[in-house]
Amino acid sequence: MTALAVEPPINASSRRAARRRREGSSASYFFVAGYTVLLAAFGIFPTGYALYLSLTNDRGQFVGLNQFSKVARDYRFIPAFENIATYLVMWLVLLVVMTVLLAVALRSWMRPGMSSLLRFLYYLPGALAGVASVLVWLFMLDPDVSPAGWFLRAIGQESFAATLNPSHLPIIFVLIAFWTGAGGWIVVMYGALNNISEDVLEAARIDGAGRWQTAWHIQIPMIRKWIVYMSILAFAAGTQLFIEPQLLQTASLGRVSSTWSPNQLAYVYAFQQGDFNGAAAISIFLLVLGLACAGVLVTRSDLFKLEEQ
Amino acid sequence: MKRLRSPNRNVRARTAGGIAVAVCTAVALAGCASATQSAASANSSPFKAVKQDASAKITVWTDSTRLPEVQQYQKLHPTAKLNIVTYDGGADGSTYLQSKIQLFDRTGKGWPDVVFGSPTDVTWASRPTNPSATAFAAPLDESLVPKATLDNFAKGSLSPCQYNGHTYCLRNDIAQVVLWYNKTLLDKWSYQVPTTWPEYQALGLKIATEHPGYLVGAVGDTNSQESYFWSSQCPAFQLTNPTTLRVDMQDPKCTRMASLLDSLISAKAVSTQGFFSQGFAKDSGSKVAMAYGPSWYGQYLFNAAFKTPAGQIAAAAPLTWPGDASPATGNVGGGLWMVSSHSTNLKAATDVATWLTTSNANQGSAPTYPAYSPAAKVWLANPTNKDYFATDISSVFEQAANEVWTGWSNTKFSDATAWSSIVLPGLTAGKSLTSLLPAWQTAVSNEAKANGYKVTNQ
Amino acid sequence: MTLALRRRPNIGPAKARSRLASRVLVGLVLAVVALFFVLPVIWLLLAPSKTADQVVSDFPLSFGSFTQIGRAWSHLFSFQDHVLLKWLRNSAIYSGGSLVLTLVTSVPAGYALALTRFRGRTTLLVVTLISMIMPSATLVLPIFLEINQFHLIGTVWSVILPFSFYPFGVYLVYIYFATSLPRDIISAARIDGCSEWQLFTRIALPLARPVVALVAFFSFVGNWNNFFLPYLVLPNSDQFPMQVGLNQLLSSTPSFNPVAGAGLNITIPELALAIIIGILPVLVLFLVSQRALVSGMLAGATKG
Repeated sequence: MTALAVEPPINASSRRAARRRREGSSASYFFVAGYTVLLAAFGIFPTGYALYLSLTNDRGQFVGLNQFSKVARDYRFIPAFENIATYLVMWLVLLVVMTVLLAVALRSWMRPGMSSLLRFLYYLPGALAGVASVLVWLFMLDPDVSPAGWFLRAIGQESFAATLNPSHLPIIFVLIAFWTGAGGWIVVMYGALNNISEDVLEAARIDGAGRWQTAWHIQIPMIRKWIVYMSILAFAAGTQLFIEPQLLQTASLGRVSSTWSPNQLAYVYAFQQGDFNGAAAISIFLLVLGLACAGVLVTRSDLFKLEEQ
Repeated sequence: MKRLRSPNRNVRARTAGGIAVAVCTAVALAGCASATQSAASANSSPFKAVKQDASAKITVWTDSTRLPEVQQYQKLHPTAKLNIVTYDGGADGSTYLQSKIQLFDRTGKGWPDVVFGSPTDVTWASRPTNPSATAFAAPLDESLVPKATLDNFAKGSLSPCQYNGHTYCLRNDIAQVVLWYNKTLLDKWSYQVPTTWPEYQALGLKIATEHPGYLVGAVGDTNSQESYFWSSQCPAFQLTNPTTLRVDMQDPKCTRMASLLDSLISAKAVSTQGFFSQGFAKDSGSKVAMAYGPSWYGQYLFNAAFKTPAGQIAAAAPLTWPGDASPATGNVGGGLWMVSSHSTNLKAATDVATWLTTSNANQGSAPTYPAYSPAAKVWLANPTNKDYFATDISSVFEQAANEVWTGWSNTKFSDATAWSSIVLPGLTAGKSLTSLLPAWQTAVSNEAKANGYKVTNQ
Repeated sequence: MTLALRRRPNIGPAKARSRLASRVLVGLVLAVVALFFVLPVIWLLLAPSKTADQVVSDFPLSFGSFTQIGRAWSHLFSFQDHVLLKWLRNSAIYSGGSLVLTLVTSVPAGYALALTRFRGRTTLLVVTLISMIMPSATLVLPIFLEINQFHLIGTVWSVILPFSFYPFGVYLVYIYFATSLPRDIISAARIDGCSEWQLFTRIALPLARPVVALVAFFSFVGNWNNFFLPYLVLPNSDQFPMQVGLNQLLSSTPSFNPVAGAGLNITIPELALAIIIGILPVLVLFLVSQRALVSGMLAGATKG
């Protein structure tokens, strides 16, 4: 749910240059104290601890990069990262294309009443995030109980077992993620489109641009920042896939591998093999992936403002 | 090109190289230790109970099938203080119990006193999860359960419980595999009940042509491999010594079963769906002429799931292969009860486990076939366990219980995961079992290696 | 003149037809997508009214009977001594407790980051941004070990404390104050002799209501739906929040776990009912908050 958005300050109130004498310095420390403690305890410390674990073994000896090479050689490691990569590519493409298209369509083609009803319907399944969404989709994917059973049969999925073919799993997870997550983003994109001033659109219309052309040349470029922002948050969230494959594994009676995603593999390492060091090494792999992404976001785009100009 | 490189970049590259060398040297000097987990010591010191408290409340983890039994115990023993919790019972390769015990071992508290589990669970519960922990399961033969009681369990039924000379669990039930058939149907069609695998195959093909739609088996369940390949004495999970696992799916004893099933699958006499899969009961429940499976199929599958009327279903002795020296059959599940070594009330905990597994009051009417021989006699004499069937199943059950092949070992990992995640999706996608054997072998071998076994594929 | 002409250009019949076609096409796509989003919800709402057999055999979108809903409820309610109520209560405690802590820590922090200057401010902000985007699930294992070090495993704090760390909330508050509370007001108040504490409580807090609601919404919904952390740190089913409880119900359902679940009356209708009950608080929030959410999220943009 953190994926739901915040407005990056596109052009924050530009006050005078903020190089003043410190304002309320000691009180400031008081204000940030509670949060800083939490940040240290549940953000910085765990990261450091994970790093420490990944560089040592369970006897506390320094092992260099051996934990990393150990888990990377595990026969489940490459498939897990391949799975997540396939999933991420499909998920991001679908998310970007669909949310933008739907938001544009809702903004430019529908009457306001109809548009707001549709937005509400799209947005509603967001309430069923997490375990609930997977449980619901377990039934949707079973041709015997699904309201779309005829459709599943029509595309050759005669049974729940057939639907859960390993090669379908990324699609299934994308569907679930889209069902719960896309609505919120559509609403946000729509809001962003609404903020484009009428004058701009009017000018485009005067120049003879059709609705598709306006969308492509004016509207979409103007909400580009949002699209980037959404993709990056969706990417970070997508690397964490755990509950979806875990529940499908239970529900499919083991047809879905219990180490489908890297997070699951880390879980197996920690709680079945009792190897927290190996688990930490996998976490670090994921963390580096996530941090690289965060780094790009913070440094390469002007999405986040650190200083008022 | 090299010469054109700016001095600045050159410096930076050299610095980076220097750092890399420094790190490498540091690593080398530190004598990088191995990343492998330290092995928990096998020679466990004699079991020492924690401080006992005869009035302590005990926590019982049960699967939902066994829940009424535990509640019954509470009813009959009103003074016993029980906290009853249901969980998945370790079915279908679930690792819930193992994960939770790992967690309790880390925190040093919270262990349940009595748990229902699967044979796989004993493999980790009988030894410490890490060097500083105590094995979860208490050795029951050490002054907890009398030897006379242990000796009364059916031959071999306690072998999954045994490790390093001690007994760590009490077997609840055995699930010997027999041939189930619909007597009404076979009589109507005037077919003979097969006694050998070739006869079974021939009859299956005959039924497929003469009565299309009817089935003689299904291979799509998570435990179908135990019904078929275990019965065929396929060395898929054979411990040649405690640390070496033989995984050889190309053994003739595996391939014979695979090709037999392939012929029946392509004739549509054997379903690649599972008996227990969603919708099977609705679509094909009334069309099962034969099923090769465990003793609990009678009540669970035919009675509860398929709702076949009473008086139709019968059981026959395990099928044999021509040329095999001794008859053999498989075993599908069969739960067990463990007592926690951390329990502060071992006496009460052991009492619950003993009552659940050995008492006639409980086992005589249990939903599954008791592993405790005296209780099994009472179970077989209990009309409610037999009235449903068309013939007397007693002798068949007793015979099969003694024929369970011991070459299918109880490993640290479930035999269900590779079958379910590799073979079953392949079958659903239309591949033949024979063609899937190599993939199955690889998956099992990988899993075994990840669990610390040496693997031989010969 | 020309302007008026171009504003309502004469469109030929061919162009009108193609416009109609694209309108129909767009409408169709939107309707199909709506179906995709809504159909599962409708199915879910109808499922508890049917028996397990009816769910499989009847038309998927048919209604069974109210008595069956009652029966499903009583089955579900009696599962493991009303453990369902405990799960709901636990979820409320965990999400509510961490919500309070989140607000108490993130609102002042966001305010200080936006409107005051102090050493380490930029560092704190950058670290906040990074941890906001970092995949939090990867930190769950070390957090588990850390909580274990403090002997908090199995206590409510093992869930509430990690949940309370909510960098996204801090960032929201920071953005809000940075864009909508003019620094001049603060400076003026300072000159008038307001203490820093008074500045915060008298001026900033009253203005912060929309962003507080926003942070509360995201934090509550996210924590209510969180699975991984409570799944790891809570050993006993009595302590589970709803989401972990649903997982346990799933493994007790005969349709998904035939061997373990046989003989138990938790079947598809009961499971569906449990899902509905489990998400009810979040659903209510969703129903009432869409408008507020959008205006809150886009507050910055309109100001810009």
